[in-house]
Amino acid sequence: MSSAVQTGRFNVYWLLVAPALLLVLVLYAAPILNVLLLSFADPKPGLGNYYKIVESDTVSRLIFTTIRLCLITTIASVTLGYIVAYAMLHAFSTMRQRMMSILLISFWISVLVRSFAWLMLLGHNGLLNNALMAGGIIAEPLPIMRNEFGVLIGMTEYMIPYAILPLLANMQGIDLRVTSASRSLGASNVQTFFRVFLPLTRPGIVAASLLVFISSLGFYVTPAILGGGKVQMIAEYISVQLLVTVRWGTAAMLATLMLVSVLVLMYVLNRFMRLSTVFGGGPR
Amino acid sequence: MQDKMFMRDLARQGALAFKSGRLDRRSFLALCGMAGVATLAVRAGDAEAAANEIVMWNWGGESEKCHGDAIGKPFTAATGIPLKFDTSGPLQGKIKEMVDSGKVTADVCDADGFDAIALGKSGHLEAIDYNIVNKAQIKEGVAWEFGVGVIFYGYAFMYDTQAFGGNAPSGWADFYDTAKFPGKRSLYKWANGSIESALVADGVPKDKVYPCDVPRAIEKIKSIKADSLYWGSGSEAHDMIVNGEVVMGMIWQNRGKAIEERTNGRYKLVMNEAIAMPGAYIVPRGNPAGRDNVMKFIQQALQVDSQLAILDCLGMTPSNPEAFAKIPEAMQPYAINSAMNIDKVIFNDPVWWAEQGGDAVNAFLDAIG
Repeated sequence: MSSAVQTGRFNVYWLLVAPALLLVLVLYAAPILNVLLLSFADPKPGLGNYYKIVESDTVSRLIFTTIRLCLITTIASVTLGYIVAYAMLHAFSTMRQRMMSILLISFWISVLVRSFAWLMLLGHNGLLNNALMAGGIIAEPLPIMRNEFGVLIGMTEYMIPYAILPLLANMQGIDLRVTSASRSLGASNVQTFFRVFLPLTRPGIVAASLLVFISSLGFYVTPAILGGGKVQMIAEYISVQLLVTVRWGTAAMLATLMLVSVLVLMYVLNRFMRLSTVFGGGPR
Repeated sequence: MQDKMFMRDLARQGALAFKSGRLDRRSFLALCGMAGVATLAVRAGDAEAAANEIVMWNWGGESEKCHGDAIGKPFTAATGIPLKFDTSGPLQGKIKEMVDSGKVTADVCDADGFDAIALGKSGHLEAIDYNIVNKAQIKEGVAWEFGVGVIFYGYAFMYDTQAFGGNAPSGWADFYDTAKFPGKRSLYKWANGSIESALVADGVPKDKVYPCDVPRAIEKIKSIKADSLYWGSGSEAHDMIVNGEVVMGMIWQNRGKAIEERTNGRYKLVMNEAIAMPGAYIVPRGNPAGRDNVMKFIQQALQVDSQLAILDCLGMTPSNPEAFAKIPEAMQPYAINSAMNIDKVIFNDPVWWAEQGGDAVNAFLDAIG
């Protein structure tokens, strides 16, 4: 808003945007401000809640676990997503449309359903373990779910579409004739990929990574179901502090911390790629 | 009691993600878990309460029908006031939020004993009017200033009868003994019952459990950490047992009967040393139906017929001593206050939990994480 004033000329179109802007301010900014205030005011005024980041082993461990799981998820889903996006880019158009439909359908299936599906597939009494045991390949069910590995599977699978969409958007913007040029100049397929194509997709990789990482920070359902109680991430902890132990100050501090981290990451993301192209994302 | 609420949250989050399907909205929701929870809490009441009805805030599922039949029907017949439900689960944080916001839409909450103590102390509840509610019909020790222990439920455990040959675990000491009874166990994720079970297993006499020595309990729990899983909802506890994920699992005792029946006794409930929790009816301050009406409702819930109907429908044990002797034969092994069990169980101390529970939950989460 202030930029219009600063440049010295008032743009009347601000008046058209004003109602929506006002609504957002009242409905979003005010509650968020309230959360921010709560983090400084409850249980007593001061920075007490924020000291916990360094003082409390629990809080620092939670932050560390969350970041670690999100990083692994990011690497895994961007790598897998890159392969799918690459395949989609080079597929014939009917095939590509089919792939896109499958992608979007899986994208729209709720995280809750997907988590339970993983339990049914890979759980103790799941399809895979039962098949392997029936086949005499293993004597005891493999402990795939209800641990950190299970959580990572669930998170990665959920995040792959988030990686594919910006990657595909980026890849589709590349003039593929450069790869032909590279081949004609004597580079092998592998050389062409690593020296021509991959560098051109760097903005897509950065955008996909940040998007996946940011979205992963808020995982709540997946670790709760697939982690067997031992894999704790920030979102679930916030919910416990809010509803069970009623330590709203701690909850608000962690929520603020997440919000600030996200805003910082968004700022970084914006430097690499215009946000609109990322969020407008995939060709629909 | 976290369970219904938890599942509901999961479902809602799932639904939100599904509905929005757009990146910006979804990621914002996911990132601001806080905002999500706050909107749910606001939406929970839906302003259902008007002057001439009682709104009961419970945990949904079967309890809606059971509370309706057992308490609602006789109450409406006697007073003409209908009973309605908000099934979003009255967790302590949500009750506090509702009263603080000034928009109270529930009259009576199906909560825990420690909620009655904690929220009573912080000024969020109406005091119980013992001129209307009859103290003689409440088990000794659970007629509090700001709440009434109307039913009892408990943390017991079940084991797989095929897992240990002829050996049968008989108490928490066996539950924590991974040498004698090898295999995985499951405990409740938010510390209730789990802390007490660890102390009893470590040799603390039943009557010395409170005040809980939390560090000692944590040490004991850590000793089985590699062999343990943790559940947050009743259905999860159930699944872990019947899917064979654990050989012994802590469980709400009222679910034990169904599991025993459905598996033809393969999984067996151990009620010895179960931790008995008083389920409290509490009234948010400024409840819409007024104090007198809701007190009459609570009084109805304590009547023998209502108490036995809840036992039959939900497996929750009566608090009214007059009902103890009338617990049916088939329910005796599963009911907390039956002659068979009343001396074996450990009664939860809600005052300790109200004062120390927050620290205990966080210490516990820290230990298992």
